[in-house]
Amino acid sequence: MTIASAAIAAPDVPSAGPRLYLSVGLLAGAVIALQIAIMRVFSVGSWTHFGSLVVSLALLGFGLSSVAIFVGKAWFERHWRASAGVALWLFGPLAVASNLVAQTVPFNAIFLTSDPSQIWRLLANFLLYLLPFLCGAMFLGIVFLKSRTGFGRVYFADLTGSGLAGLLVLAAMYVLPPEKLIAVPLALWALSGLLWIGPARSLGLRPFALIFAALTIFAYFLLPGLLGIPDIAVSQYKGVAYARNFPDATRIYRSISPFGDLQVYSSSYMHFSPGLSDNAAFNLPELPGKSFVGLYIDGEGPEGIMRDPPAAAADYFHYLPMYYPYVLRANPDTFVVQFGGGISTAAALHSGSKSVTVAESNPAVLKAFSDPGIAAASSDILADPRVRIVSYDGRLFLKHTGNRYDVIDLSLADSVGLSNPGGFAITEKYAYTTEAMLDYMRALSDDGVLSITVWNKEEPPKSLLKLYSTVANAARRIDPAGAANSIFVSSSYLSTATVLYRKGGFTADELTKLRAHTSAMSWDEIYSPGFAVDATQGPPIFAQYKASIFGDVGVSPAADPTTSGDTSDPNDAPTPVPATTLTRLYWRALMTGDSALQNQYVFDTEPLTNSRPYFAAYEKLGDLPHTLDRLDLFQDDWGYLLLWATLGVAAMCATLLILLPVGLGWRDIFSRAPGKLGTIGFFAALGLGYITVEVGLISRFTLALSNPTISASVLISSMLVFSGMGSLLSERLFERAKWTLPAILLVIAAMLVGYSLLLDPVLDWIGAFPFALRLLFCFLLVAPPAFLMGFPMSTAMTSLTRLGKEHLFVWAWGINGCFSVIGAAAVPIIETTLGLPAVLEVSALAYLVAIPTFFAVLRPSRVSLR
Amino acid sequence: MKRRDFMSGSVALLGSAAIASDAIAKVPTAFDWTSMPPLADRQAFVDWMIKSRGEDPLYLGLRYDRFLVMVKNGDLRDDRNKRAFLMTPREAFVLAPNLPRAYDSAFLDINYGVTISGPHLVGRMTTSLDVQKGDKVLEVGTGSGYQSAYLSHLTDKVWTIEIIKPLAARTRATYDSLIANGYTEFSAITTENADGYYGWAEAGPFDKIIVTCGIDHIPPSLLQQLQPNGVMVIPVGPPGAQHVLKVLKTQLPDGTFKIDRSDIYNGKIVPFVPFTKLENDVIVGTHNG
Repeated sequence: MTIASAAIAAPDVPSAGPRLYLSVGLLAGAVIALQIAIMRVFSVGSWTHFGSLVVSLALLGFGLSSVAIFVGKAWFERHWRASAGVALWLFGPLAVASNLVAQTVPFNAIFLTSDPSQIWRLLANFLLYLLPFLCGAMFLGIVFLKSRTGFGRVYFADLTGSGLAGLLVLAAMYVLPPEKLIAVPLALWALSGLLWIGPARSLGLRPFALIFAALTIFAYFLLPGLLGIPDIAVSQYKGVAYARNFPDATRIYRSISPFGDLQVYSSSYMHFSPGLSDNAAFNLPELPGKSFVGLYIDGEGPEGIMRDPPAAAADYFHYLPMYYPYVLRANPDTFVVQFGGGISTAAALHSGSKSVTVAESNPAVLKAFSDPGIAAASSDILADPRVRIVSYDGRLFLKHTGNRYDVIDLSLADSVGLSNPGGFAITEKYAYTTEAMLDYMRALSDDGVLSITVWNKEEPPKSLLKLYSTVANAARRIDPAGAANSIFVSSSYLSTATVLYRKGGFTADELTKLRAHTSAMSWDEIYSPGFAVDATQGPPIFAQYKASIFGDVGVSPAADPTTSGDTSDPNDAPTPVPATTLTRLYWRALMTGDSALQNQYVFDTEPLTNSRPYFAAYEKLGDLPHTLDRLDLFQDDWGYLLLWATLGVAAMCATLLILLPVGLGWRDIFSRAPGKLGTIGFFAALGLGYITVEVGLISRFTLALSNPTISASVLISSMLVFSGMGSLLSERLFERAKWTLPAILLVIAAMLVGYSLLLDPVLDWIGAFPFALRLLFCFLLVAPPAFLMGFPMSTAMTSLTRLGKEHLFVWAWGINGCFSVIGAAAVPIIETTLGLPAVLEVSALAYLVAIPTFFAVLRPSRVSLR
Repeated sequence: MKRRDFMSGSVALLGSAAIASDAIAKVPTAFDWTSMPPLADRQAFVDWMIKSRGEDPLYLGLRYDRFLVMVKNGDLRDDRNKRAFLMTPREAFVLAPNLPRAYDSAFLDINYGVTISGPHLVGRMTTSLDVQKGDKVLEVGTGSGYQSAYLSHLTDKVWTIEIIKPLAARTRATYDSLIANGYTEFSAITTENADGYYGWAEAGPFDKIIVTCGIDHIPPSLLQQLQPNGVMVIPVGPPGAQHVLKVLKTQLPDGTFKIDRSDIYNGKIVPFVPFTKLENDVIVGTHNG
């Protein structure tokens, strides 16, 4: 028999001085620092996306720790100091050991579908990296359990420590290379451990602790060398690994910063001529030869850096696709949207530009070009008196400048996606959105030319058609009637494609010149004003492309080996390849508004916008299940498919962890704690809501901060620090929480909806300020919702404690952790399918769901009478 | 010695130790251009190959199964290519750990960030080159050596260049070992460790060129060393979903050259065939090879 009880007396509270809070803050900081450091290990060693997968799943350690503490709650309460201490002290050595062992079982993404052992290697990486996170989570969980009456303060320490550690790692990236970055979490861990021991309690332990911490850190630095294990096992399939295989390869430059591990290799085996016309072979008396060095960021690349070609090869730039706008403009004022390795800038300078303004948002690249060795390797291109440098995003500069340019060039910008087929990445491509195109088009002089050159190496085309849709979309928005006369497109099969937009429309003379140049280069004209295409070819060719990817290949009888399966003659004369015909038809459909045909294409070809700035995620949603038996065909989009896999695995693990306490026979305990479903709902909503805001804003703030790493650091730090403050202040409102918290949740939801609608123009405005001011503004912009978002968690956890629902307290902690993992995996899927603003709307919805469920948290316990 | 050099040297040593060619037995019958294994029956093929080549019946069976799938998919379209595929011991060119999957349709790792292409791609690409006996063929990117080994059953003039020194050495050793065991057809392959970007001017011009390494443009030297009316093929794209670019060089009446880019499918949209295998006389699509 049970009776309702209004409140249960608060449990025994350990003395919680600043030392405990500092220890908690430092260890929480170590956990987040380790997370970032492991991501860097994956970025440099293999592939960032698997880093995200491994780390986000490893964070399920928080869910697992909750189950463990749940099972042994009474024991952990009795031995809280010892058990938390052991968990804390294991964090460091396990971080070192896991990372070291993980380097001996590297896995390779490209063999994931063909080599069964790869999946075990992936699992091994996940389990290894789970260990330190599990220890960190155990420590925090035990301390939280024991400090539950003052949860707001300990949670403040947790959040603030995590937030500040985010900034610390960012700063450390300037001095520590990726292979040494785990030193940061180790240092935080050592400090946390020493503070945990405390001087009064166990003076005798201190020297041992110091030695243990020092040995762990030494082991991190020395063991790889002693054991012959690489600091970071760099995949042989990374761009930089190939450069290192060249017999005469020499690294001539390296810089480390949050903008990446930038390395430049020199070798006579480097040859870059992106999209070079095949005709150059028979018309240029000499080729640039050994004029190149290769630039790699986090091992990805190379991006070519070239010195001035020899005199006999002076005409070299004429044969590159980025020469197109100079066919029309003799002495233009030119703007290069992204400097990269500088080949576009060199083309502009060698084609008679009277001024060249170059933008580069990666300060590490500009710094590299100020190095004497790289300056020499680029014939000191940035010192040319005609060159003016804009040290931030070219798109943002053009948005705000009053200058007008005769030529604006966006050639093979960015190191992934369009510029590097098979880029694998879900990355925001703000330089290629409709909004960006509008900014470029508006910054043209009256007869200015926008020239966009991209790789055309996909078969069937994917990102290329998205780009075409985007340019057509922007051109129509600028001038609905004149768009069809303002575009010229040419491509070279499995090489590059160039789209030209001419403000005010091409003249007949200009079209003649462009056609002559296209023909002289042996490139294919894809679209021009009045270009004729046989429209009847559209439906069959679109249908055949669909069938070529998703046609049934399940089972078929074996062939008669004495006959041929295909009777076509390999020596048939070349006909226009289907992809060329397809793109011609596609442009016709774009310009005639034939959206029915566009929608028939096998992949998504929607234009990019600031809301959905992705070339990746090109599969139509309904086709996703059909990709499973032909994953090898979608290697260039595994980053996206992996998100679904992560979400699936996270959801399965989270469900298991959440239900485990119920399944293991704790119904009895729960029966005394009413409102279980509501409580699950509340903490799930908080976990989901908080993480979706955090991860979702990282993508949005890249718009103003131009760099995802900086954006992530600013967002993580400001969110956590301001939420920590909210958590601390929540204690003061606790007595009135029944009324104030629902109001706070409502305000959070309203704020998030407001942010989702109004953030873009504000971020665009911020983007034009100097970098330090941009950081400050972004910090301030995050503060209001983040501060309020600190209230609900600590208020609810304190409520559970005061009501004597300790088991629910532990469980809630785990539920919150699990849903954070699910939320983090769900964000990029929401972003790519519904658009960036939808993420904040989902968060708002989660906070709204938290309002009614909060009352379930407040339901008092029933106490058994025996 | 620098640590990196030491490590890459060690890896090379391990790699060469792990290559499977040493397992190939002596060939009992001398190579003959006119000999043709039976095509119509698996057991007859295996028996004939054991008798004339002394190879392992396990791999011969797997080779024949893969052959059936390739014929069905149009990867092998003439008897010369069927013979070339059936006569080339692919198992001698894969790493030992990959031996069980030597005849899967998947590409396999061969170290140094290089793969051996799936048999279907090799078959389809080489068939489209239409190599005739006596043609001079250049391969840029020797890799495992399998492609040139296959080519040596079509012509007696094959040149191949590999940029990665330890890989070039390992593959040369594989050929030498096979030649010593009686695979005399591989003597037609001339190897070099060099930068294939510049082709092989002394040996050129070539009737056919195969480029199997990643590039952002077709090396002009290769276009120059291609005979008029010559053909070049280049796989483009991620492994497993590669599309083959076909380049034709024709001489115009005024003596200048024209380059045409197309694919190897002559204007057809060809279904991408996922990794497939033969199970009980039916071909089954699977992404696991």
